[in-house]
Amino acid sequence: MENLKKKISNLLRDVFHPHEIFRVLGKDRYASLKIRIVLLDIFLSMIPLFIVITISYFWFQKILKDDFYNQVNWEIQNTKQTIEFFIDKKISALRLTSSSYTYEQMSDTKLLNEIFKNFKREYGGLVDFGVIDSTGIQRSYSGPYNLAGKDYSKQDWFHEVIIRSFYVSDVFMGYRKIPHFAIAVKSEAAGKGTFWILRATINIETLQKYVNAVNQRPNDDIFIINREGILQTPSKFHGDVLEQYAAHITIPRQEVSVQEIKTQSDDCKICGFATIQHSPWILVTNIRSAPYAKIPSIFRNELFFITMMSILLGTIFTIIMANMVVNRIKLSDHEREEAIAQSEHAGKMASIGRLAAGVAHEINNPLAIINEKAGLMKDLLEVSGNLEHQKEKFLGLINGISDSVTRCRTITHRLLGFSRRMEISQDAIDINDAVQEIIGFLEKEILYRGIHLELHLQENLPKIITDKGQVQQVFLNIINNAMDALKENGDITVSTYTKDDQFVRVVIKDNGSGIPKENLKHIFEPFYSTKEKGKGTGLGLSISYGIMQKLGGAILVESEVNTGTTFIVEVPVNVREVRKGGL
Amino acid sequence: MNYENEDNLRLLQLQFIGKILAGFTHEIKNYLAIIKESNGLIEDLMTLGKTAQNDSEQYLEITRSIEEHIEKTNTLFRYLNRFAHRMDSQLATFNLNETLEELIALVTRFANQKKIVIGKDFQEDIPSIYSNPSLVQFIAFSLLNEKIKNLDTNSTITIQTAAADNTVKIRIIPEGNFLEGNDDTPLISYKNLEKLIQQLGGNVLQEKGKETLITLGMHPQ
Amino acid sequence: MPQTKILLVDDEVEFASALAERLELRSYDVKTANNALEALAVIHTHVPDVIILDLKIPGMDGIETLKTIKKIDPTIEVIMLTGHGDVQSVAEGMKSGVFEYIMKPVDIGELTVKIDNAMKKRTKEK
Repeated sequence: MENLKKKISNLLRDVFHPHEIFRVLGKDRYASLKIRIVLLDIFLSMIPLFIVITISYFWFQKILKDDFYNQVNWEIQNTKQTIEFFIDKKISALRLTSSSYTYEQMSDTKLLNEIFKNFKREYGGLVDFGVIDSTGIQRSYSGPYNLAGKDYSKQDWFHEVIIRSFYVSDVFMGYRKIPHFAIAVKSEAAGKGTFWILRATINIETLQKYVNAVNQRPNDDIFIINREGILQTPSKFHGDVLEQYAAHITIPRQEVSVQEIKTQSDDCKICGFATIQHSPWILVTNIRSAPYAKIPSIFRNELFFITMMSILLGTIFTIIMANMVVNRIKLSDHEREEAIAQSEHAGKMASIGRLAAGVAHEINNPLAIINEKAGLMKDLLEVSGNLEHQKEKFLGLINGISDSVTRCRTITHRLLGFSRRMEISQDAIDINDAVQEIIGFLEKEILYRGIHLELHLQENLPKIITDKGQVQQVFLNIINNAMDALKENGDITVSTYTKDDQFVRVVIKDNGSGIPKENLKHIFEPFYSTKEKGKGTGLGLSISYGIMQKLGGAILVESEVNTGTTFIVEVPVNVREVRKGGL
Repeated sequence: MNYENEDNLRLLQLQFIGKILAGFTHEIKNYLAIIKESNGLIEDLMTLGKTAQNDSEQYLEITRSIEEHIEKTNTLFRYLNRFAHRMDSQLATFNLNETLEELIALVTRFANQKKIVIGKDFQEDIPSIYSNPSLVQFIAFSLLNEKIKNLDTNSTITIQTAAADNTVKIRIIPEGNFLEGNDDTPLISYKNLEKLIQQLGGNVLQEKGKETLITLGMHPQ
Repeated sequence: MPQTKILLVDDEVEFASALAERLELRSYDVKTANNALEALAVIHTHVPDVIILDLKIPGMDGIETLKTIKKIDPTIEVIMLTGHGDVQSVAEGMKSGVFEYIMKPVDIGELTVKIDNAMKKRTKEK
């Protein structure tokens, strides 16, 4: 768990640190960091945005769908009730009529015609009236057909009307090929113990009218079928009256049901069924249109617009923030580097001051000696002009003065060596000498640590015009690092050779712990150090790198863990010529 | 923000110190050489020449010369010591006159090469200021150096100090002909000079060929 | 007038002997010592009137030696030899009873004046 936490924190640190890995598009490390932050932020903020949008979309869709279903349900309910009312009205009317007259009266065709004429006037759509006796024989008839005396005793409807006292028939093809249906009511003959039946044939126009009254959408179909699936009113897509509708109909258990149906041939999305009371009919509605499926384009456009605006604003804001923050980091880093450089400078100045003051202090004594001896000479001369017997003494004093002058010169000379280091000299130097000088400084330490040092210095290297002090600083830094990598007992090899007529190379190789590949990219960065806190500022290689750049050279490195590290310092033979060449 | 410029300035300051030390060493060595030679001369005279009465005068003259050069060496070393201690810390309380005096002492040699005389016109009771002494010397030197380079021989440069309000003023006043077409680039560019002086809480007024006025706050910003 | 007895303490032998000789030419009675121990030994055998003491000598440092001398005989006047105005040591020396200080390289005229003044003070106090 700790390991995981460490890995994660390392990863985060790498992502949010302005360093040389993760460089983007060859931009500098601060620009790369900005780009990384912006991309990461956009990516992370888009995720919740898209989640919300997706959820909203589907949720909205579901609401619309439910709403639509409810509407369909309501439509069917409405139509069903209208038709039921229509039928019940007819049945009531017939009942009223049959109870208003006796069987004998109704059997009178002339009267029946009269009654029919009146009835027709009130209720449109009637085709005929008929009176049938209890044996099933049509006694009287008023209508276009010739049905007097027809025998209905064998027919199902006759038996049904006896039992149920009313009957609504399926639609059938009737007069002039116009579909009709019939309603029959049973009437008890008063006091006689028998009954008779009044039957009316109605054309489906009115029925159709009620069915079509539903506000239909273009792709939707509403019609009536019977229990066998035969169409009772014309359907838009499924055939005309008296044709067979789709085979499988599940008579709904509830009176009304709206279901989603998936059939291959039919794209019927929703099917609504309603049984119509007091009739053999089922009201069917086939909805193909699914307006909820197409979320109105306005909403979609709005959604798109808002999304894009959010992303755009978010991006702009992120860019501004990332810019400000990373610039602050850059400024901080630079300020820190500057502070350290300034501090180093102050230290340098202080040490120069100390050295110079030291020289000044030291000179006092020999100077004082010269002063006294010369003064003594003067005294002796003033005391007695005869110098013969003092010759020896004088010569002694003269020697003493001479020695002290030499001493003064030596002391003063130190200042010169020191002052020369302050300038960027453009002296011709011997690289091998420079290297050996540095090694001279470190000899004791090397011996002490049991490190085996080998030198392979190419002879007759060309003289190099550069700043001796600074290249030596670089060598010192790298060799020190090599020694640190070895700790105790190991090998360091220093070689020099000419790379070509423009550059000389100084190679420092150690067989120490090596640098892991992922760290190699970092080592020239300021403040990068693998040493424990307090040891090393992490600035050495960064400063060395800077020095070599300024001097027109370079530092290269190769390394393998547990095998060793090789540093190659490339020094231009003549920095002026290198620059002209436009390297 | 690019600190290469700052790096460059620091380098220039170190170079300035190097130049001063080099010049100083050169001068001292000259004096020591004179002492040595005079010393040797006495020896020669003693071993080779006569020891008549009047020769005693000759010897005395030489010893006087030796003492004179010991004194010169000593004086110069005292200036060096003061100069060296200015580098001990980047901020200190110091006397401007003394600071400029040692600078002048150490650069007189350069000026003498062109027979240019550097004169002092210091306000005696100038109050101490709290600032960066070695940096003040560096700034003064670079301005002085520029004038020395661009003046004709046998000219004069006067360095004047004065205190007013809460500031001290340094005037570097050249008197003489300016060499035409002498396009020696100054040690520090004018822009950087301004920056440095502003760091010390002051400002600079300069006209080519005319005096330079540096105003420093008594305390740095 | 009796000769002023001087003890010159400095670790630079050549300097001390040359200066001693010059002072002798000027009628002073000069003994030299090259370190603190030697100096203290001389003090016991030949009590000096004035001690010319270099600030930096081996063994005890100048100030310590000064304090010891003053303990032995506070009437002995001490003139301190310094390099480049080591301000702190000078101040400390003054506190510990140094009569005067003089910088190296020494101006013989200035030194003799100081020695005479020291002597005057010593005779007054005696």
